[in-house]
Amino acid sequence: MKLLEYEAKRVFSEYGIPVPKGAVIRAAEEVAAHLPDLGDGVVLKAQVDVGGRGKAGGVLMADRTTAAETARDLFSREIKSVPVREILAEERLPIEHEYYVSIAVDRSSGQPVVLFADAGGVEIEKMAEEDESAVRRVVVSPLLRDIPPFLMRELLGGAPKELAPVINSLYHVFQGKDAMLAEINPLVTTSRGVYAADAKLIIDDNALARQGIAVNRDLSEREREAEKHGFSYVELDGSIGVIGNGAGLTMSTLDLIEFYHGRAANFLDVGGGADQERVMHAVKLVASMPGVNVIVVNLLGGITRCDEVAKGIIAAGVAPTVIVRMAGTNEEEGRQLLAECGYRMLESMDAAVKAAMEVAE
Amino acid sequence: MIYGDKDLGVIVQNITGKQGTFHTELMNAYAREVGGRGVVAGTAPGKGGREVHGVPVYNTVKEALREHDATASVIFVPGGAAGDAIMEAAHAGIELAVVITEHIPVHDVMSAIAYAKLHDCTVIGPNCPGLLSPGECKLGIMPAHLARRGNVGVVSRSGTLTYEVVDELTRAGIGQSTVVGIGGDPVIGQTFVDVLARFEEDPQTKAVVVIGEVGGNLEEEGVRSTDLPVVTYIAGVSAPPEKRMGHAGAIIEGGEGDARSKVRRLRDQNIPVASRPSEIPGLIHEVI
Repeated sequence: MKLLEYEAKRVFSEYGIPVPKGAVIRAAEEVAAHLPDLGDGVVLKAQVDVGGRGKAGGVLMADRTTAAETARDLFSREIKSVPVREILAEERLPIEHEYYVSIAVDRSSGQPVVLFADAGGVEIEKMAEEDESAVRRVVVSPLLRDIPPFLMRELLGGAPKELAPVINSLYHVFQGKDAMLAEINPLVTTSRGVYAADAKLIIDDNALARQGIAVNRDLSEREREAEKHGFSYVELDGSIGVIGNGAGLTMSTLDLIEFYHGRAANFLDVGGGADQERVMHAVKLVASMPGVNVIVVNLLGGITRCDEVAKGIIAAGVAPTVIVRMAGTNEEEGRQLLAECGYRMLESMDAAVKAAMEVAE
Repeated sequence: MIYGDKDLGVIVQNITGKQGTFHTELMNAYAREVGGRGVVAGTAPGKGGREVHGVPVYNTVKEALREHDATASVIFVPGGAAGDAIMEAAHAGIELAVVITEHIPVHDVMSAIAYAKLHDCTVIGPNCPGLLSPGECKLGIMPAHLARRGNVGVVSRSGTLTYEVVDELTRAGIGQSTVVGIGGDPVIGQTFVDVLARFEEDPQTKAVVVIGEVGGNLEEEGVRSTDLPVVTYIAGVSAPPEKRMGHAGAIIEGGEGDARSKVRRLRDQNIPVASRPSEIPGLIHEVI
């Protein structure tokens, strides 16, 4: 789950990373109360979860006299069609130089990777594309408590040594907060020291509970409903509903729909142990999506009990046509139950998807 | 076959859990069928002294290995404790840990795999169905009845999609040497490169099916690393960017690893890519 900038900065601050003085406001009038703390120059930053926020008009400069007016302007905007509900009002830093630093999970090595660049504030992907040597990277063993000094020297190159403790603290954030990504862009030097001018922190969804996060805000309401039942669920914009077990098989079913020039309405992986109850909830959930007139159920596995699945589909009793492909134990009983209630059960996923296409058209 | 044969002695960690108990019985049913050793012991802290389907239970891996000759462990320990279970296995001398558990925090996985490496323990998974060498051994949860012994290796990031492909192969009369599910998480132990290197050393394996997913570029790394004939299939070509399709690994990040460009890059290297699972047997016939 992605944290908002001010939430990430709160975390950084707990780990000893200097952040600019600032306050979160929810109405333009609130900014006045904070001006004495913030000084003459004020930066107003929309707290919205969108990439390229600055370019999209989500960050505005102001001073003591214009702060309220500028905040009102920002609250009235939509940043990439996301309304602005919270603004982080910050002191303007006397920036000398900007850098980039991030720590992420490196899939190839299966270890934390630290990226550093001598220029900040820009998109790191673009920077790396233009000049590969501009971005330095080191891989750190996850068993180490700190980034070892020799790796830090390699990372920093000629950049000032005083960045090192901040980067090491970011590594502690990464480890301590179960982060998938911890990023400071830009990391700035000023006459008063080093600051994290911006902050990005993405927490591993599998670690939200132990990080004390009860609700995953990245999910929509229906997605959260799905999560309650243990489904992974994504909404798309077609008319063919899809229910499968296992992420790969379900994705493959969506691909097959596209292969036959159809459009899937969703991705729903019921997970392991598809029993009557779960299948019923899954079918009902997909049927509740507007525009779905047919649902493909594709279940495969040694322990899937086909009679249970059949009962779940029948119990759901939804309006859209349900076409079933399943293999597992008690296949014959399942087929019979479905046939008695007028549902079709087909031999292969190709056949099931083709049959669904006919209904969708 | 790779990773182990009939003589492989196996333990199950969290054997008293629902999944552990159920699959211990299935693994041992398979071992009886092929005349293998199967699961010789299990562990569950605080439950030592019990039996699960006739298999003795110990409190720790160390205790189990004191009484039994085993080199592999299948881990069904739930999310938050699974990283610890991998390290316990490695520390006690297990050489091959197959981790079925899903939803393990990625930091736990990174640490546990790094620790296992220090103890020369090979990790398969997590979030994987394990491995099956038809006629030899089964470690994990793959439905054995779909498979048949032969000379095509299968390596995959998926679970049920692997069963689909194995079923297609078997129906087409193509048997398998070993089927390995390496798991769908962003960080995994054995990668495509590792498994393909083992297949290359295996005289039984003549060709390999590589089943990939959207996300990362590990399939390409793997395919480039081997001289064996390879047929690939990549799930998720219809997946929209930034949407997580179940597997944590199956998310397109920053333009890297989307399935379409992955398929294009593979085809540019003259690697056959199936557009759907049912095309795989035909492509295998073409390469061997």
